Amino acid sequence: MTSLSKKFGSVFVINDITLQVKKNEIFGFLGPNGAGKSTTMMILATLLKPTSGIVTINDFNIVSHPEKVREHIGYVQQEITVDEYLTGRENLILQSRLNHIPKNVAKERIDEILKLIELENKQNDLVITYSGGMRKRLDIAGSLLHKPKVLFLDEPTVGLDIQTRKKIWEHIKKIRSNFKTTIFLSTHYMEEADELCDRIAIIEKGKIKVIDSPITLKKNFGSEILNIITETNIESIKSAPEIVHIKKSVNEMILKNKTIKISSTNCTKILPLLIKSLLKLEIEIDSISMYPPTLNDVFIKYTGKTIDQENVTYNMKREYRRLRNIKK
Amino acid sequence: MNILYDIYSIVWREVKRYSKSKFGVLIRLIQPLIWIIVVGNTFTETSPLIASVGFSGDYMQFITPGIIILTAIFTSIFGGVNTLWDRRYGFINKVLISPISRSSIALGKMIAISIIATVQSCLILGISFLIGVAIPTYFNLLFVITVIILFSLGFSGISVIVASLARSQETFWATINFLGMPLFMLSPALFPLELLPPWLSTVAKLNPVTYTIILIRDVMNEQTNTNHLEIGLFIIICFAFIITIIASFVFTRDMKKPF
Repeated sequence: MTSLSKKFGSVFVINDITLQVKKNEIFGFLGPNGAGKSTTMMILATLLKPTSGIVTINDFNIVSHPEKVREHIGYVQQEITVDEYLTGRENLILQSRLNHIPKNVAKERIDEILKLIELENKQNDLVITYSGGMRKRLDIAGSLLHKPKVLFLDEPTVGLDIQTRKKIWEHIKKIRSNFKTTIFLSTHYMEEADELCDRIAIIEKGKIKVIDSPITLKKNFGSEILNIITETNIESIKSAPEIVHIKKSVNEMILKNKTIKISSTNCTKILPLLIKSLLKLEIEIDSISMYPPTLNDVFIKYTGKTIDQENVTYNMKREYRRLRNIKK
Repeated sequence: MNILYDIYSIVWREVKRYSKSKFGVLIRLIQPLIWIIVVGNTFTETSPLIASVGFSGDYMQFITPGIIILTAIFTSIFGGVNTLWDRRYGFINKVLISPISRSSIALGKMIAISIIATVQSCLILGISFLIGVAIPTYFNLLFVITVIILFSLGFSGISVIVASLARSQETFWATINFLGMPLFMLSPALFPLELLPPWLSTVAKLNPVTYTIILIRDVMNEQTNTNHLEIGLFIIICFAFIITIIASFVFTRDMKKPF
Protein backbone atom coordinates (compact mmCIF):
# COMPACT_ATOMS: atom_id res chain seq x y z
CA MET A 1 0.00 0.00 0.00
CA THR A 2 1.19 3.47 -0.85
CA SER A 3 0.15 6.66 0.95
CA LEU A 4 -3.06 5.07 2.24
CA SER A 5 -5.33 7.48 4.09
CA LYS A 6 -8.86 7.22 5.40
CA LYS A 7 -10.83 10.15 6.69
CA PHE A 8 -14.11 10.03 8.63
CA GLY A 9 -15.55 13.52 8.66
CA SER A 10 -12.56 15.75 9.26
CA VAL A 11 -10.61 13.13 11.22
CA PHE A 12 -7.85 11.08 9.60
CA VAL A 13 -8.19 7.57 11.02
CA ILE A 14 -5.36 6.39 8.77
CA ASN A 15 -2.81 8.92 7.71
CA ASP A 16 -0.43 8.31 4.82
CA ILE A 17 0.51 4.69 5.44
CA THR A 18 3.00 3.06 3.10
CA LEU A 19 4.15 -0.52 3.49
CA GLN A 20 4.74 -3.72 1.60
CA VAL A 21 4.10 -7.24 2.88
CA LYS A 22 6.26 -10.03 1.49
CA LYS A 23 4.94 -13.35 0.22
CA ASN A 24 4.46 -16.00 2.94
CA GLU A 25 5.28 -13.46 5.63
CA ILE A 26 3.39 -12.96 8.90
CA PHE A 27 3.11 -9.22 9.18
CA GLY A 28 1.74 -7.61 12.32
CA PHE A 29 0.04 -4.30 12.92
CA LEU A 30 0.73 -3.43 16.54
CA GLY A 31 -1.14 -0.59 18.14
CA PRO A 32 -3.64 0.41 20.79
CA ASN A 33 -7.42 0.53 20.32
CA GLY A 34 -8.39 3.32 17.96
CA ALA A 35 -4.98 3.36 16.25
CA GLY A 36 -6.53 2.58 12.86
CA LYS A 37 -5.75 -1.15 12.70
CA SER A 38 -9.28 -2.41 12.06
CA THR A 39 -10.02 0.38 9.59
CA THR A 40 -6.91 -0.59 7.62
CA MET A 41 -8.01 -4.22 7.73
CA MET A 42 -11.47 -3.29 6.46
CA ILE A 43 -9.94 -1.32 3.59
CA LEU A 44 -7.66 -4.22 2.68
CA ALA A 45 -10.64 -6.60 2.84
CA THR A 46 -12.55 -4.33 0.38
CA LEU A 47 -15.17 -3.41 2.98
CA LEU A 48 -14.23 0.28 3.10
CA LYS A 49 -12.99 2.57 0.37
CA PRO A 50 -9.81 4.52 1.12
CA THR A 51 -9.93 8.31 0.99
CA SER A 52 -6.63 8.32 -0.90
CA GLY A 53 -3.69 6.09 -1.67
CA ILE A 54 -3.13 2.93 -3.65
CA VAL A 55 -3.49 -0.60 -2.33
CA THR A 56 -2.77 -3.69 -4.38
CA ILE A 57 -3.14 -7.29 -3.26
CA ASN A 58 -1.63 -9.90 -5.55
CA ASP A 59 -1.32 -7.18 -8.20
CA PHE A 60 -5.03 -6.31 -8.05
CA ASN A 61 -6.06 -2.83 -7.00
CA ILE A 62 -8.60 -3.01 -4.17
CA VAL A 63 -10.66 -0.11 -5.56
CA SER A 64 -10.73 -0.96 -9.26
CA HIS A 65 -10.82 -4.78 -8.92
CA PRO A 66 -12.42 -5.61 -5.56
CA GLU A 67 -13.96 -8.84 -6.94
CA LYS A 68 -10.54 -10.14 -7.99
CA VAL A 69 -9.06 -9.14 -4.63
CA ARG A 70 -11.83 -11.03 -2.79
CA GLU A 71 -10.90 -14.22 -4.63
CA HIS A 72 -7.42 -14.02 -3.13
CA ILE A 73 -8.12 -12.99 0.43
CA GLY A 74 -9.53 -14.43 3.61
CA TYR A 75 -10.65 -12.11 6.40
CA VAL A 76 -11.22 -13.06 10.00
CA GLN A 77 -12.89 -10.26 11.89
CA GLN A 78 -12.31 -9.26 15.48
CA GLU A 79 -15.80 -10.52 16.38
CA ILE A 80 -16.46 -14.23 16.14
CA THR A 81 -18.77 -14.53 13.15
CA VAL A 82 -19.60 -18.24 13.09
CA ASP A 83 -23.29 -19.14 13.31
CA GLU A 84 -24.06 -20.51 16.76
CA TYR A 85 -27.16 -22.33 15.60
CA LEU A 86 -25.37 -24.39 12.96
CA THR A 87 -22.87 -27.16 13.59
CA GLY A 88 -19.17 -26.61 12.99
CA ARG A 89 -19.36 -28.56 9.75
CA GLU A 90 -22.48 -26.70 8.57
CA ASN A 91 -20.69 -23.41 9.16
CA LEU A 92 -17.88 -24.56 6.90
CA ILE A 93 -20.35 -25.84 4.28
CA LEU A 94 -21.99 -22.40 4.29
CA GLN A 95 -18.63 -20.70 3.92
CA SER A 96 -17.72 -23.00 1.01
CA ARG A 97 -21.03 -22.16 -0.69
CA LEU A 98 -20.41 -18.43 -0.24
CA ASN A 99 -17.04 -18.92 -1.90
CA HIS A 100 -18.46 -20.97 -4.78
CA ILE A 101 -16.35 -24.02 -3.98
CA PRO A 102 -17.69 -27.10 -5.82
CA LYS A 103 -19.36 -29.59 -3.48
CA ASN A 104 -16.87 -32.45 -3.95
CA VAL A 105 -13.85 -30.15 -3.48
CA ALA A 106 -15.50 -28.51 -0.47
CA LYS A 107 -16.00 -31.84 1.31
CA GLU A 108 -12.32 -32.68 0.95
CA ARG A 109 -11.16 -29.25 2.10
CA ILE A 110 -13.53 -29.16 5.06
CA ASP A 111 -12.15 -32.52 6.24
CA GLU A 112 -8.60 -31.27 5.78
CA ILE A 113 -9.21 -28.01 7.63
CA LEU A 114 -11.17 -29.60 10.47
CA LYS A 115 -8.17 -31.84 11.00
CA LEU A 116 -5.77 -28.90 10.91
CA ILE A 117 -7.71 -26.94 13.54
CA GLU A 118 -8.38 -30.08 15.59
CA LEU A 119 -12.16 -29.84 15.53
CA GLU A 120 -12.89 -33.16 13.81
CA ASN A 121 -14.55 -34.62 16.88
CA LYS A 122 -16.77 -31.60 17.47
CA GLN A 123 -17.71 -30.96 13.83
CA ASN A 124 -21.30 -32.18 14.22
CA ASP A 125 -22.01 -30.30 17.45
CA LEU A 126 -23.84 -26.98 17.44
CA VAL A 127 -21.37 -24.10 17.67
CA ILE A 128 -23.30 -22.75 20.67
CA THR A 129 -21.65 -25.58 22.65
CA TYR A 130 -18.11 -24.51 21.57
CA SER A 131 -15.67 -22.56 23.74
CA GLY A 132 -14.45 -19.12 22.62
CA GLY A 133 -11.19 -20.58 21.33
CA MET A 134 -12.94 -23.31 19.33
CA ARG A 135 -15.26 -20.73 17.75
CA LYS A 136 -12.28 -18.60 16.77
CA ARG A 137 -10.51 -21.61 15.26
CA LEU A 138 -13.65 -22.44 13.31
CA ASP A 139 -13.90 -18.83 12.14
CA ILE A 140 -10.30 -18.94 10.91
CA ALA A 141 -10.95 -22.32 9.25
CA GLY A 142 -13.88 -20.86 7.30
CA SER A 143 -11.70 -18.13 5.89
CA LEU A 144 -9.20 -20.71 4.59
CA LEU A 145 -11.59 -22.90 2.59
CA HIS A 146 -10.99 -21.12 -0.71
CA LYS A 147 -7.24 -21.28 -0.07
CA PRO A 148 -6.63 -17.53 0.00
CA LYS A 149 -3.17 -16.25 -0.81
CA VAL A 150 -3.48 -13.54 1.84
CA LEU A 151 -5.21 -13.97 5.18
CA PHE A 152 -6.22 -10.94 7.26
CA LEU A 153 -6.63 -11.61 10.96
CA ASP A 154 -8.06 -8.70 12.92
CA GLU A 155 -7.11 -9.13 16.58
CA PRO A 156 -7.30 -12.94 16.28
CA THR A 157 -6.98 -13.67 19.99
CA VAL A 158 -8.70 -10.71 21.60
CA GLY A 159 -10.71 -11.72 24.67
CA LEU A 160 -9.23 -15.23 24.85
CA ASP A 161 -7.26 -16.64 27.77
CA ILE A 162 -3.51 -17.16 27.42
CA GLN A 163 -3.71 -20.96 26.88
CA THR A 164 -6.26 -20.53 24.10
CA ARG A 165 -4.21 -17.72 22.61
CA LYS A 166 -1.15 -19.96 22.44
CA LYS A 167 -3.24 -22.66 20.74
CA ILE A 168 -4.43 -20.13 18.13
CA TRP A 169 -0.83 -19.02 17.56
CA GLU A 170 0.15 -22.63 16.85
CA HIS A 171 -2.64 -22.85 14.29
CA ILE A 172 -1.66 -19.58 12.64
CA LYS A 173 1.90 -20.89 12.25
CA LYS A 174 0.57 -24.16 10.82
CA ILE A 175 -1.62 -22.28 8.35
CA ARG A 176 1.37 -20.36 7.06
CA SER A 177 3.48 -23.49 6.62
CA ASN A 178 0.72 -25.80 5.28
CA PHE A 179 -1.03 -23.37 2.95
CA LYS A 180 1.87 -21.01 2.13
CA THR A 181 -0.42 -18.15 3.07
CA THR A 182 0.72 -14.60 3.64
CA ILE A 183 -0.76 -13.44 6.94
CA PHE A 184 -1.48 -9.86 7.89
CA LEU A 185 -2.64 -9.58 11.47
CA SER A 186 -3.48 -6.78 13.80
CA THR A 187 -2.98 -7.03 17.53
CA HIS A 188 -2.49 -5.03 20.66
CA TYR A 189 -0.81 -7.94 22.44
CA MET A 190 2.96 -7.50 22.52
CA GLU A 191 3.66 -11.18 23.10
CA GLU A 192 1.46 -12.10 20.14
CA ALA A 193 3.35 -9.79 17.81
CA ASP A 194 6.65 -11.03 19.22
CA GLU A 195 5.73 -14.71 18.94
CA LEU A 196 4.10 -14.70 15.52
CA CYS A 197 5.29 -11.89 13.33
CA ASP A 198 8.26 -11.81 10.99
CA ARG A 199 7.87 -8.05 10.83
CA ILE A 200 5.70 -5.59 12.66
CA ALA A 201 4.51 -2.05 12.10
CA ILE A 202 3.84 0.02 15.21
CA ILE A 203 0.84 2.19 14.47
CA GLU A 204 -0.52 5.02 16.55
CA LYS A 205 -3.24 7.54 15.71
CA GLY A 206 -3.30 6.32 12.11
CA LYS A 207 0.40 6.79 11.51
CA ILE A 208 3.13 4.17 11.27
CA LYS A 209 5.92 4.85 13.71
CA VAL A 210 8.31 2.09 12.68
CA ILE A 211 8.43 -1.13 10.63
CA ASP A 212 10.90 -3.92 11.27
CA SER A 213 11.26 -7.42 12.67
CA PRO A 214 10.66 -7.74 16.44
CA ILE A 215 14.27 -8.97 16.85
CA THR A 216 15.77 -5.97 15.05
CA LEU A 217 13.51 -3.52 16.86
CA LYS A 218 14.57 -4.92 20.21
CA LYS A 219 18.22 -5.09 19.14
CA ASN A 220 18.19 -1.47 18.02
CA PHE A 221 16.71 -0.50 21.35
CA GLY A 222 19.82 -1.66 23.20
CA SER A 223 20.99 -4.99 24.45
CA GLU A 224 19.77 -4.47 28.04
CA ILE A 225 17.29 -2.44 30.02
CA LEU A 226 18.15 -1.13 33.44
CA ASN A 227 15.22 -0.14 35.59
CA ILE A 228 15.68 1.64 38.90
CA ILE A 229 12.82 2.56 41.21
CA THR A 230 13.63 5.24 43.75
CA GLU A 231 12.04 6.22 47.04
CA THR A 232 11.58 9.85 45.99
CA ASN A 233 10.68 11.69 42.82
CA ILE A 234 13.71 12.07 40.55
CA GLU A 235 12.41 14.72 38.13
CA SER A 236 14.55 17.35 39.93
CA ILE A 237 17.88 15.59 39.26
CA LYS A 238 17.37 15.43 35.47
CA SER A 239 19.89 18.20 34.87
CA ALA A 240 22.42 17.18 37.53
CA PRO A 241 25.90 16.92 35.90
CA GLU A 242 26.33 13.26 37.05
CA ILE A 243 23.08 12.28 35.40
CA VAL A 244 23.76 14.28 32.23
CA HIS A 245 27.14 12.54 32.00
CA ILE A 246 25.55 9.06 32.25
CA LYS A 247 22.84 10.04 29.74
CA LYS A 248 25.53 10.78 27.17
CA SER A 249 26.98 7.28 27.41
CA VAL A 250 23.75 5.27 26.95
CA ASN A 251 21.29 4.72 24.09
CA GLU A 252 18.38 6.14 26.01
CA MET A 253 17.67 7.33 29.52
CA ILE A 254 14.19 8.16 30.78
CA LEU A 255 13.59 9.75 34.19
CA LYS A 256 9.95 9.90 35.17
CA ASN A 257 8.39 10.17 38.64
CA LYS A 258 10.27 7.54 40.66
CA THR A 259 11.64 5.52 37.75
CA ILE A 260 14.91 5.64 35.86
CA LYS A 261 14.95 3.55 32.72
CA ILE A 262 18.15 3.09 30.75
CA SER A 263 18.73 1.15 27.56
CA SER A 264 22.31 0.43 26.81
CA THR A 265 24.73 -2.22 25.60
CA ASN A 266 26.75 -1.95 28.83
CA CYS A 267 24.25 -1.65 31.65
CA THR A 268 26.46 -3.68 34.00
CA LYS A 269 29.18 -1.00 33.77
CA ILE A 270 26.75 1.89 34.13
CA LEU A 271 24.97 0.48 37.18
CA PRO A 272 27.75 1.14 39.80
CA LEU A 273 28.26 4.62 38.40
CA LEU A 274 24.55 5.38 38.57
CA ILE A 275 24.20 4.06 42.12
CA LYS A 276 27.13 6.24 43.19
CA SER A 277 25.57 9.30 41.54
CA LEU A 278 22.17 8.70 43.10
CA LEU A 279 23.66 8.30 46.56
CA LYS A 280 25.61 11.50 46.04
CA LEU A 281 22.38 13.25 45.06
CA GLU A 282 20.77 11.76 48.19
CA ILE A 283 18.28 9.69 46.27
CA GLU A 284 17.43 6.41 47.96
CA ILE A 285 16.98 3.34 45.79
CA ASP A 286 13.98 1.08 46.25
CA SER A 287 14.71 -1.62 43.65
CA ILE A 288 16.93 -2.40 40.68
CA SER A 289 16.16 -4.71 37.78
CA MET A 290 17.94 -5.53 34.54
CA TYR A 291 16.41 -7.39 31.61
CA PRO A 292 16.65 -7.71 27.84
CA PRO A 293 14.41 -5.21 26.00
CA THR A 294 10.87 -6.27 25.15
CA LEU A 295 8.52 -5.07 22.44
CA ASN A 296 6.79 -3.09 25.15
CA ASP A 297 9.99 -1.05 25.58
CA VAL A 298 10.15 -0.56 21.83
CA PHE A 299 6.51 0.53 21.83
CA ILE A 300 7.16 3.08 24.58
CA LYS A 301 10.18 4.38 22.69
CA TYR A 302 8.15 5.09 19.56
CA THR A 303 4.85 6.18 21.08
CA GLY A 304 5.90 7.59 24.45
CA LYS A 305 3.44 5.39 26.37
CA THR A 306 2.65 1.77 27.06
CA ILE A 307 -0.04 0.07 25.05
CA ASP A 308 -1.94 -0.64 28.28
CA GLN A 309 -1.91 3.04 29.26
CA GLU A 310 -3.38 3.83 25.89
CA ASN A 311 -6.06 1.20 26.32
CA VAL A 312 -6.93 2.48 29.79
CA THR A 313 -7.46 5.98 28.43
CA TYR A 314 -9.65 4.50 25.70
CA ASN A 315 -12.56 6.86 25.84
CA MET A 316 -16.12 5.72 25.24
CA LYS A 317 -17.25 9.19 24.20
CA ARG A 318 -14.44 9.42 21.68
CA GLU A 319 -15.29 5.96 20.34
CA TYR A 320 -18.97 6.92 20.07
CA ARG A 321 -18.04 10.02 18.09
CA ARG A 322 -15.80 7.90 15.86
CA LEU A 323 -18.60 5.41 15.14
CA ARG A 324 -21.04 8.23 14.50
CA ASN A 325 -18.63 9.67 11.97
CA ILE A 326 -18.30 6.26 10.31
CA LYS A 327 -22.09 6.02 9.99
CA LYS A 328 -22.18 9.40 8.27
CA MET B 1 -26.72 -19.01 -12.77
CA ASN B 2 -24.56 -18.03 -9.83
CA ILE B 3 -27.16 -15.68 -8.41
CA LEU B 4 -29.64 -18.56 -7.94
CA TYR B 5 -26.93 -20.60 -6.21
CA ASP B 6 -26.08 -17.61 -4.01
CA ILE B 7 -29.74 -17.10 -3.08
CA TYR B 8 -29.98 -20.82 -2.34
CA SER B 9 -26.92 -20.60 -0.04
CA ILE B 10 -28.49 -17.82 2.02
CA VAL B 11 -31.86 -19.62 2.11
CA TRP B 12 -30.08 -22.84 3.13
CA ARG B 13 -28.53 -21.15 6.14
CA GLU B 14 -31.73 -19.50 7.32
CA VAL B 15 -33.86 -22.63 6.90
CA LYS B 16 -31.21 -24.76 8.67
CA ARG B 17 -31.29 -22.36 11.61
CA TYR B 18 -35.10 -22.45 11.67
CA SER B 19 -35.26 -26.24 11.49
CA LYS B 20 -32.97 -26.52 14.52
CA SER B 21 -35.15 -24.26 16.64
CA LYS B 22 -38.06 -26.56 17.50
CA PHE B 23 -38.96 -24.36 20.45
CA GLY B 24 -39.12 -21.35 18.11
CA VAL B 25 -41.47 -23.25 15.77
CA LEU B 26 -43.83 -24.03 18.66
CA ILE B 27 -43.67 -20.60 20.28
CA ARG B 28 -44.67 -18.94 17.00
CA LEU B 29 -47.84 -21.08 16.96
CA ILE B 30 -49.06 -20.00 20.38
CA GLN B 31 -50.29 -16.50 19.50
CA PRO B 32 -52.34 -17.57 16.43
CA LEU B 33 -53.76 -20.51 18.39
CA ILE B 34 -54.90 -18.15 21.15
CA TRP B 35 -56.60 -15.99 18.51
CA ILE B 36 -58.38 -19.01 17.01
CA ILE B 37 -59.45 -20.42 20.37
CA VAL B 38 -60.36 -17.17 22.14
CA VAL B 39 -61.65 -14.95 19.33
CA GLY B 40 -63.06 -17.88 17.30
CA ASN B 41 -65.15 -19.05 20.25
CA THR B 42 -65.99 -15.59 21.61
CA PHE B 43 -67.55 -14.43 18.35
CA THR B 44 -69.10 -17.72 17.30
CA GLU B 45 -72.57 -16.21 17.88
CA THR B 46 -71.87 -13.64 15.16
CA SER B 47 -72.32 -16.27 12.42
CA PRO B 48 -75.78 -14.91 11.43
CA LEU B 49 -74.31 -11.41 11.21
CA ILE B 50 -71.57 -12.45 8.81
CA ALA B 51 -74.08 -14.59 6.93
CA SER B 52 -76.07 -11.39 6.39
CA VAL B 53 -73.27 -10.04 4.20
CA GLY B 54 -73.12 -13.22 2.10
CA PHE B 55 -70.70 -15.53 3.95
CA SER B 56 -72.08 -19.04 4.11
CA GLY B 57 -69.81 -20.77 6.69
CA ASP B 58 -69.56 -20.44 10.49
CA TYR B 59 -67.37 -17.88 12.29
CA MET B 60 -64.47 -20.33 12.71
CA GLN B 61 -64.46 -20.86 8.94
CA PHE B 62 -64.57 -17.08 8.57
CA ILE B 63 -61.76 -16.24 10.97
CA THR B 64 -59.27 -18.98 9.91
CA PRO B 65 -57.92 -17.15 6.81
CA GLY B 66 -57.37 -14.07 8.99
CA ILE B 67 -55.42 -16.08 11.55
CA ILE B 68 -53.37 -17.76 8.84
CA ILE B 69 -52.46 -14.31 7.56
CA LEU B 70 -51.81 -13.11 11.12
CA THR B 71 -49.25 -15.93 11.40
CA ALA B 72 -47.72 -14.98 8.06
CA ILE B 73 -47.57 -11.27 8.99
CA PHE B 74 -45.88 -11.73 12.32
CA THR B 75 -43.50 -14.52 11.31
CA SER B 76 -42.32 -12.59 8.28
CA ILE B 77 -42.28 -9.10 9.77
CA PHE B 78 -40.25 -10.33 12.78
CA GLY B 79 -37.97 -12.34 10.49
CA GLY B 80 -35.74 -9.42 9.54
CA VAL B 81 -34.39 -9.12 13.07
CA ASN B 82 -31.57 -11.54 12.40
CA THR B 83 -30.37 -9.15 9.68
CA LEU B 84 -29.56 -6.80 12.55
CA TRP B 85 -27.68 -9.54 14.39
CA ASP B 86 -25.86 -10.51 11.21
CA ARG B 87 -24.64 -6.96 10.81
CA ARG B 88 -23.77 -6.47 14.45
CA TYR B 89 -21.77 -9.71 14.69
CA GLY B 90 -20.00 -9.50 11.36
CA PHE B 91 -21.79 -12.16 9.32
CA ILE B 92 -22.76 -9.59 6.70
CA ASN B 93 -19.11 -8.48 6.38
CA LYS B 94 -18.12 -12.12 5.97
CA VAL B 95 -20.64 -12.47 3.13
CA LEU B 96 -19.55 -9.16 1.61
CA ILE B 97 -15.95 -10.25 1.14
CA SER B 98 -17.01 -13.49 -0.51
CA PRO B 99 -17.67 -13.54 -4.26
CA ILE B 100 -21.42 -13.90 -3.64
CA SER B 101 -23.70 -11.56 -5.58
CA ARG B 102 -24.78 -8.58 -3.42
CA SER B 103 -28.46 -8.68 -4.36
CA SER B 104 -28.67 -12.37 -3.54
CA ILE B 105 -28.18 -11.63 0.18
CA ALA B 106 -31.39 -9.62 0.56
CA LEU B 107 -33.31 -11.87 -1.83
CA GLY B 108 -32.12 -15.00 -0.05
CA LYS B 109 -33.11 -13.57 3.32
CA MET B 110 -36.57 -12.56 2.09
CA ILE B 111 -37.24 -15.90 0.41
CA ALA B 112 -36.09 -17.78 3.52
CA ILE B 113 -38.30 -15.67 5.78
CA SER B 114 -41.27 -16.20 3.48
CA ILE B 115 -40.65 -19.98 3.43
CA ILE B 116 -40.56 -20.02 7.24
CA ALA B 117 -43.70 -17.84 7.44
CA THR B 118 -45.47 -20.15 4.98
CA VAL B 119 -44.52 -23.25 6.99
CA GLN B 120 -45.83 -21.61 10.17
CA SER B 121 -49.04 -20.56 8.41
CA CYS B 122 -49.47 -24.08 7.01
CA LEU B 123 -49.13 -25.48 10.53
CA ILE B 124 -52.02 -23.22 11.60
CA LEU B 125 -53.92 -24.30 8.50
CA GLY B 126 -53.32 -27.94 9.50
CA ILE B 127 -54.54 -27.26 13.06
CA SER B 128 -57.63 -25.53 11.67
CA PHE B 129 -58.39 -28.69 9.63
CA LEU B 130 -58.31 -30.64 12.89
CA ILE B 131 -60.93 -28.35 14.42
CA GLY B 132 -63.25 -28.73 11.45
CA VAL B 133 -62.27 -26.04 8.97
CA ALA B 134 -62.29 -27.47 5.45
CA ILE B 135 -60.82 -26.53 2.08
CA PRO B 136 -62.62 -27.71 -1.08
CA THR B 137 -59.85 -29.12 -3.29
CA TYR B 138 -56.10 -29.69 -3.36
CA PHE B 139 -55.90 -27.04 -6.05
CA ASN B 140 -57.50 -24.51 -3.69
CA LEU B 141 -55.01 -25.54 -1.01
CA LEU B 142 -52.10 -25.04 -3.42
CA PHE B 143 -53.49 -21.66 -4.42
CA VAL B 144 -53.77 -20.58 -0.77
CA ILE B 145 -50.17 -21.64 -0.12
CA THR B 146 -48.97 -19.70 -3.18
CA VAL B 147 -50.77 -16.58 -1.97
CA ILE B 148 -49.22 -16.97 1.50
CA ILE B 149 -45.74 -17.25 -0.05
CA LEU B 150 -46.24 -14.07 -2.09
CA PHE B 151 -47.77 -12.21 0.84
CA SER B 152 -44.97 -13.29 3.20
CA LEU B 153 -42.38 -12.25 0.64
CA GLY B 154 -43.82 -8.73 0.73
CA PHE B 155 -43.87 -8.60 4.50
CA SER B 156 -40.40 -10.08 4.84
CA GLY B 157 -39.32 -7.27 2.50
CA ILE B 158 -40.86 -4.72 4.88
CA SER B 159 -39.00 -6.38 7.74
CA VAL B 160 -35.68 -6.28 5.85
CA ILE B 161 -36.23 -2.60 4.99
CA VAL B 162 -36.94 -1.74 8.63
CA ALA B 163 -33.92 -3.78 9.81
CA SER B 164 -31.67 -2.04 7.26
CA LEU B 165 -32.80 1.42 8.30
CA ALA B 166 -33.32 0.85 12.03
CA ARG B 167 -29.74 0.00 13.04
CA SER B 168 -30.82 -0.86 16.58
CA GLN B 169 -33.01 -3.54 18.11
CA GLU B 170 -35.13 -0.94 19.91
CA THR B 171 -35.97 0.99 16.76
CA PHE B 172 -36.62 -2.24 14.86
CA TRP B 173 -39.09 -3.62 17.40
CA ALA B 174 -40.82 -0.28 17.90
CA THR B 175 -41.34 0.12 14.14
CA ILE B 176 -42.40 -3.49 13.60
CA ASN B 177 -44.94 -3.37 16.42
CA PHE B 178 -46.22 -0.07 15.09
CA LEU B 179 -46.75 -1.68 11.66
CA GLY B 180 -47.80 -5.26 12.37
CA MET B 181 -50.85 -5.09 14.58
CA PRO B 182 -52.52 -2.05 12.90
CA LEU B 183 -52.16 -3.68 9.49
CA PHE B 184 -53.86 -6.79 10.84
CA MET B 185 -56.61 -4.89 12.68
CA LEU B 186 -57.30 -2.61 9.71
CA SER B 187 -58.37 -5.58 7.61
CA PRO B 188 -61.40 -7.87 7.38
CA ALA B 189 -59.55 -10.53 9.41
CA LEU B 190 -62.11 -10.59 12.22
CA PHE B 191 -65.20 -9.02 10.58
CA PRO B 192 -66.31 -8.47 7.00
CA LEU B 193 -65.51 -5.11 5.43
CA GLU B 194 -69.24 -4.53 5.02
CA LEU B 195 -69.70 -4.49 8.82
CA LEU B 196 -66.90 -2.00 9.46
CA PRO B 197 -67.66 1.74 9.79
CA PRO B 198 -67.33 3.41 6.35
CA TRP B 199 -64.13 5.32 7.22
CA LEU B 200 -62.50 2.15 8.57
CA SER B 201 -63.61 0.21 5.54
CA THR B 202 -62.01 2.88 3.29
CA VAL B 203 -58.74 2.67 5.22
CA ALA B 204 -58.84 -1.13 5.07
CA LYS B 205 -59.14 -0.99 1.29
CA LEU B 206 -55.68 0.62 1.15
CA ASN B 207 -54.20 -2.30 3.05
CA PRO B 208 -52.71 -5.27 1.10
CA VAL B 209 -53.65 -7.52 4.04
CA THR B 210 -57.32 -6.91 3.22
CA TYR B 211 -57.03 -8.29 -0.32
CA THR B 212 -55.00 -11.29 0.80
CA ILE B 213 -57.53 -12.27 3.47
CA ILE B 214 -60.50 -11.81 1.13
CA LEU B 215 -58.73 -13.86 -1.55
CA ILE B 216 -57.82 -16.73 0.80
CA ARG B 217 -61.27 -16.66 2.42
CA ASP B 218 -62.98 -16.86 -0.98
CA VAL B 219 -60.76 -19.70 -2.17
CA MET B 220 -61.06 -21.66 1.10
CA ASN B 221 -64.84 -21.34 1.10
CA GLU B 222 -65.37 -21.69 -2.65
CA GLN B 223 -67.08 -18.33 -2.80
CA THR B 224 -64.91 -17.41 -5.71
CA ASN B 225 -65.78 -14.11 -7.19
CA THR B 226 -63.68 -13.82 -10.36
CA ASN B 227 -63.43 -10.10 -9.88
CA HIS B 228 -62.14 -10.49 -6.28
CA LEU B 229 -59.73 -13.17 -7.39
CA GLU B 230 -58.16 -11.16 -10.18
CA ILE B 231 -57.92 -7.91 -8.23
CA GLY B 232 -56.64 -9.69 -5.12
CA LEU B 233 -54.02 -11.66 -6.99
CA PHE B 234 -52.88 -8.61 -8.95
CA ILE B 235 -52.50 -6.50 -5.78
CA ILE B 236 -50.59 -9.24 -3.91
CA ILE B 237 -48.22 -9.85 -6.83
CA CYS B 238 -47.58 -6.10 -7.19
CA PHE B 239 -47.14 -5.74 -3.40
CA ALA B 240 -44.61 -8.60 -3.23
CA PHE B 241 -42.75 -7.44 -6.35
CA ILE B 242 -42.50 -3.75 -5.40
CA ILE B 243 -41.50 -4.42 -1.79
CA THR B 244 -38.90 -7.00 -2.87
CA ILE B 245 -37.30 -4.50 -5.24
CA ILE B 246 -37.28 -1.73 -2.61
CA ALA B 247 -35.95 -4.08 0.11
CA SER B 248 -33.15 -5.34 -2.15
CA PHE B 249 -32.18 -1.79 -3.01
CA VAL B 250 -32.27 -0.49 0.58
CA PHE B 251 -30.47 -3.52 2.01
CA THR B 252 -27.75 -3.55 -0.67
CA ARG B 253 -27.21 0.20 -0.34
CA ASP B 254 -27.24 0.19 3.43
CA MET B 255 -25.11 -2.84 4.21
CA LYS B 256 -22.10 -1.22 2.55
CA LYS B 257 -22.04 1.28 5.38
CA PRO B 258 -20.12 0.19 8.46
CA PHE B 259 -22.38 -0.60 11.37
